[in-house]
Amino acid sequence: MNLERVPNEEKLTLCRKYYLGGFAFLPFLWLVNVVWFFKEAFMKPVYTEQLQIKTYVKRSALGLLFWVTVLTTWITIFQRFRAEWGEVGDYLSFTIPLGIP
Amino acid sequence: MDLLSSKWLVNLLVCWFFIGVGCNSVEKKIYVHLNYTIPCVRLLNATHQIGCQSHLSGNVGVLHVLESEENLDWVLRSGLNPPYLVILESPLFTRSIMMKLKNGSSRVAGVAVVAANANPPDGFSPHTNCPNENTGVYTESYDPAMSHCNVTVWNPLGNGLSYEEFDFPIFSMKDDNDTLVIRQCYMDHNRAVNGSTPQYPLCAMQLFSHMSAVTNTATCMRRNDINFSISPEMVCDPLGDYNVWASTKPLNNTAKGHKDGERVVVAAARLDSRSFFFDVAPGAQSGVSGFVALLAAAHALRNATQEAPPPRNILYAFFQGETFDYIGSSRMVYDMQNNQFAVDLDNIHSVLEVGQVGLRAESKLWLHSDPVSRKNSSVDEEVKKLIQNLQSAATDLNVSAEVPNVSQPLPPCSFQRFLRARPIPGVVIEDHQSAFTNRFYESMYDNAEHLNISYPSNLTLEEQLEFVTDTAMALTEVATMVARTLYAQAGGAESQRNNINADRQIVTRMLYGFLVRSNNSWFQQLIPSDLMSHLTDTPTNFYVGVAPQTSKPTYLVQYLLANLTGSTVNITQENCQNQRESEEDKENKHMYFYVWAQGAALPNSTEREGFCTRSTARLVKAMSPAFDLREYTSKDYSTWTESRWKSIKGRIFLVASHELEMVTLGVGVGVLLTSLLLTYFMSSKADILFSSGREPANATY
Repeated sequence: MNLERVPNEEKLTLCRKYYLGGFAFLPFLWLVNVVWFFKEAFMKPVYTEQLQIKTYVKRSALGLLFWVTVLTTWITIFQRFRAEWGEVGDYLSFTIPLGIP
Repeated sequence: MDLLSSKWLVNLLVCWFFIGVGCNSVEKKIYVHLNYTIPCVRLLNATHQIGCQSHLSGNVGVLHVLESEENLDWVLRSGLNPPYLVILESPLFTRSIMMKLKNGSSRVAGVAVVAANANPPDGFSPHTNCPNENTGVYTESYDPAMSHCNVTVWNPLGNGLSYEEFDFPIFSMKDDNDTLVIRQCYMDHNRAVNGSTPQYPLCAMQLFSHMSAVTNTATCMRRNDINFSISPEMVCDPLGDYNVWASTKPLNNTAKGHKDGERVVVAAARLDSRSFFFDVAPGAQSGVSGFVALLAAAHALRNATQEAPPPRNILYAFFQGETFDYIGSSRMVYDMQNNQFAVDLDNIHSVLEVGQVGLRAESKLWLHSDPVSRKNSSVDEEVKKLIQNLQSAATDLNVSAEVPNVSQPLPPCSFQRFLRARPIPGVVIEDHQSAFTNRFYESMYDNAEHLNISYPSNLTLEEQLEFVTDTAMALTEVATMVARTLYAQAGGAESQRNNINADRQIVTRMLYGFLVRSNNSWFQQLIPSDLMSHLTDTPTNFYVGVAPQTSKPTYLVQYLLANLTGSTVNITQENCQNQRESEEDKENKHMYFYVWAQGAALPNSTEREGFCTRSTARLVKAMSPAFDLREYTSKDYSTWTESRWKSIKGRIFLVASHELEMVTLGVGVGVLLTSLLLTYFMSSKADILFSSGREPANATY
């Protein structure tokens, strides 16, 4: 969908949907929201709905940052300690690499 | 940057042209695949992993043919093109060299051992010097003074290589065309001539033996059970097979557990062996000598036990997987304790085990017994009787059977697992007084040559099968002695005893069949036709293998035992294969096992005249109870597993220098980027570049 051709009200609804959808443990929606609406929120000349869009984009970005931190931390810990955890590590794994601990 | 690299470029171009069609032949031009490669594979137990492992994409190293131990310096320090793939002649395959390579493994990509055509003169055993140290009867609690081979080190030549872990692949190669190609390739490209460094391209080898399992049995068995993914992948399998057993009087095999009034004399031998490499385990002295003697004894007893049945029963047991912490015997004892076997431990009168008996110095045999259980006077009395029976049988023959020092414990043997359960009288017959006479225990050299079995060169295959060697004669004597002793042990009449004689022709054929070629006319007669594919022209491999499968020697021993102890019955093929004597017969299958053997080939024809043999030879599972109990860290039972793998192969090829590889890659990337830029440029300036041609067309509309 080309945002250029969408009326401003619809942009706001779309942005809100993506923002709210992100709460269902879907950080990728927030990522899309940030990338997609960044220009709308910060670069375009001012229009009525822009303020609201700005808030959603900022919050999405914040949420995204939170997710990124949490996931990076967890993945680092998991990859570093999976072998040491032994049994627990195996049960937490979806695919277990062959031939290495 | 010479002929080779330009050849490479041409190959690459051709490949790009005929992508999908032509690439195969290009691959053939680059690589020479090795035909005969035997890997060393990874095995795991409760605490350790042993064996070898390559990377998932194989280990590549520049070939280096090691000439002496001093030459190692080139591989481990001074050589300029590490990592190296070391080619060893088998005399250099020693612990000291292998451990140096193991410790310098960042410069070692792998090792290929060229198998020798003759056995080394000094002896070689990659096994430990105290086999099955922790799972025999001599634990700290049984007798601290005898544990861990404190009294006798049974296998003093054992260097423990088979129980080391290497993080590079080790392959064994036959000395044939492959090794010729490798040597030639090394001579042409890699040899430093008078101090100069060898120039690229260099000859390299790639070995694949990536193992799926890792760490220990508990880990790999757990990973076998995790099936989150769409295609769950097994990583290891327990070692195991089937024990073979038979009895002189049929036992109801469907009714398990204690049989009232039944007394059995167990005659045991072990079936399996191993070596450093995966599927070469000839086990001539360590396994074959013992079980062939017992099979011949069983045959010798057939007539006597049918005509004048002794009061007690004789149970022949051939145990599988004994090399790996007594898998077979521990399982049978476990089954006896849990009423899962045709008899139980209370039914056992005594045990006579035939160990390594192929190499008798001064034709002496040694009768080993357990000093700890003999402290019990009733056991001691029975053991004394058994020894006396053995000695009186020996004096009639050309054998001298002697008793070693009383305070010496038993050598590694299946009987130890019976003693672990309870004190049972028993004797183990061996050809050594203390340490093994076997200089090649559990190695690839424990072969026919080691037992001095050789044939005059002018014999045909049929004549070789019937050619009686000195070893066969000696083993026949042992078999006769065992048979007479068993008959006496079972309470048979003394008058019958001297009529019991092992057939030396049978011993001869068995030795030939197991140690030289199983694909011989005699074995062919005795097996069912669907097992013909199991017969090969090479020595039998006695490695136990993984549990759900039945290995070749197990089948062979079962059918041999069936034919040697059973009798031919006149029933139809269909009834025979359905384990019954007539359509209405539902009883005999509990007592007997029927085999439809394919029989001898009729003269001038490929057809065979089959016959039905009725015997008591049966298979019973030989898988460690640890896997049924799911106790993967068990200290009582074997926990050995074998890793799975996807491909095992080796190939040689020429490698270009690192710089040339980088230049090629750089040029490729450069061409790609240029073409991208060019395309971008052309598309952005398309209106200018292609304007002249289009204008008249625009004008028309």
